Amino acid sequence: MNKLLEKKNPAKHIKSFGFLALLLLLPVIFTAVDFTYGITISCFVAIYVIAVSGIDIVFGYCGQISMGHAAFYAVGAYGSALLSSKLNIPIIISMFIAPVIAAILGALLAYPASKLVFHFLSLATIAFGEITYQLILQSPGGITGNAVGLATKKVNLFGFAFNTSFRFYYLALAFVLLLLAAKTNLVSSRVGRAFVAIRENTHAAEGMGVNARKYKVIAFATSAFFTAVAGSMYAHFVGYISPDTFTNKQSVLFITMLLFGGTASKPGPIIGAIAVLLLNEALRSMENMQMLVYGFLLLIVILLLPGGIFGMIKDLFYKYTHRGGKENAKS
Amino acid sequence: MTMFMQVFVSGLVIGCVYGLIALGYSLIYKASGMMSFVQGDLLTVGAFLGYTFYGLWKIPVAISFVMVFILMVLLGFGIERGIINRLVKKKTLPIYIVLATIAVSYILQNGAMYIWGSNMLTFPRLFSANSIKIFGVGVQPEALFCIVVSLIAMVILHIFMKYTKYGTAMRAASMDPMAARSCGINVSVSTGLTWGIAAAMASLAGMLIGPVYGVFTTLGATIGRKGFSSAVMGGYGNMYGAIVGGIILGLMETFTSGYISSAYKDLFAYIILLLFLFVKPTGIFNERAIME
Repeated sequence: MNKLLEKKNPAKHIKSFGFLALLLLLPVIFTAVDFTYGITISCFVAIYVIAVSGIDIVFGYCGQISMGHAAFYAVGAYGSALLSSKLNIPIIISMFIAPVIAAILGALLAYPASKLVFHFLSLATIAFGEITYQLILQSPGGITGNAVGLATKKVNLFGFAFNTSFRFYYLALAFVLLLLAAKTNLVSSRVGRAFVAIRENTHAAEGMGVNARKYKVIAFATSAFFTAVAGSMYAHFVGYISPDTFTNKQSVLFITMLLFGGTASKPGPIIGAIAVLLLNEALRSMENMQMLVYGFLLLIVILLLPGGIFGMIKDLFYKYTHRGGKENAKS
Repeated sequence: MTMFMQVFVSGLVIGCVYGLIALGYSLIYKASGMMSFVQGDLLTVGAFLGYTFYGLWKIPVAISFVMVFILMVLLGFGIERGIINRLVKKKTLPIYIVLATIAVSYILQNGAMYIWGSNMLTFPRLFSANSIKIFGVGVQPEALFCIVVSLIAMVILHIFMKYTKYGTAMRAASMDPMAARSCGINVSVSTGLTWGIAAAMASLAGMLIGPVYGVFTTLGATIGRKGFSSAVMGGYGNMYGAIVGGIILGLMETFTSGYISSAYKDLFAYIILLLFLFVKPTGIFNERAIME
């Protein structure tokens, strides 16, 4: 349906082609201006965009809070690292298997949790996140390397190693485009409409014949899958994982990015990931102030910008385009 | 016997602290239907303030405690008035309020680190005696003090809520804000006061646990998260449940780490939390506030 509509609008087509060309040329531009660190940041942006899009499905569209998504991120990272190193599964396949495991875990968590209201859902997801974190930190048999962490291998596809930021960027870009397209299709489908119905009013949705529990489980599972893909990308990009990355701070970071960008939209997670990562870079020089500034910013966004940056842009745009109309109406 | 007694006392100490924190959660939930993630970090701030007044400025214990209480009531009141109430008035989704409390907890925790540094500080001893004999077993007097004072605090809170005019007004305001308002109760002040009292209780917990555990910036974060476990175990919103849940959790935790293994000690609280949420969300005291 979407594709049909897009074909009727050639201008939009040209715009998205231009955007894609810019994305493809980005590492080349960064290399040309001798700012290779920019490529590394772009790779992290890609990873976070996927993770945050996952949260957007469950929180932005379905209205169910999860404060334990770091657990799915961890399952993706450790799952893929362990599957590829212990069982010798090719990384590109283990990067798919680990998210499937995460999706199953997400469904198992969501099934009993779907009865809980938001407050207690957030407690349940926090508990889930903490349990996962503790199990990584003190794993049975020390399989995760406990506090020391694990060294991971780089992705190798048909003999081509994605071992530099420059090369990994294209792999990450492919993942982002694929998963964002999947997300867009999902939320504009029947399932996505059920999500929104549950978010707006669960009782009314159930009255209309939407099986709330089923769709909450679907939302959690898909969301876990997305975040776990990001986790596996993180593991094979950085080359080293340790429990420090998967604390509840990470879960809050995901939600902060989503709120910064704006919920339930296509550009929201992208804007949020870029904004928060750039902010982190800017605050790098004063490391012990970082979390403090971060807390204030989160508070300001919640108090003053409930729609996030994307919501603000939309509002400004609306005001700008409708200014003439309003003045006319007044006179 | 010696080991049993020591484990039992340290279980009671941490259990009372969980109880005090959970009590704050229950009070806030009853008064405004909100969930606050600030309690744990208020505990940290309280411990640091106590350390500053009593340890650095050498103000007598009782006066330091009172000064900390006053400051913390103001802080709790300010958080409710300045942030939570504003969001409630704007009719924002409840989840944004939860996130706002998380933001405040980040600010408190990292603000404390900015002011007092990230090293562990030693809270000065409250008593000159090194240990007190109970059934022939030596126990740190601060540990006993912690248990006794927190139990007294709980009784005082119970009397305050049940038998004083302010307590009755607060209970009325939480039960039915509209009816309370029409009876001339200032509902918004009473909600703010509830947050203030919860903050004071958290700071009490911080000053009681400070001499036993030491004072550091992440002291309250873990206790705060585990406090949820005891609040849910007792029945979220039930004051007696919070205390009972706290003490049960504290005892279970210390006994498992004392007699079985300390490796999975931190796992315990969260498994209990998940089990109760999934199997018996109304808790031991069958509090019906939790279900949709």
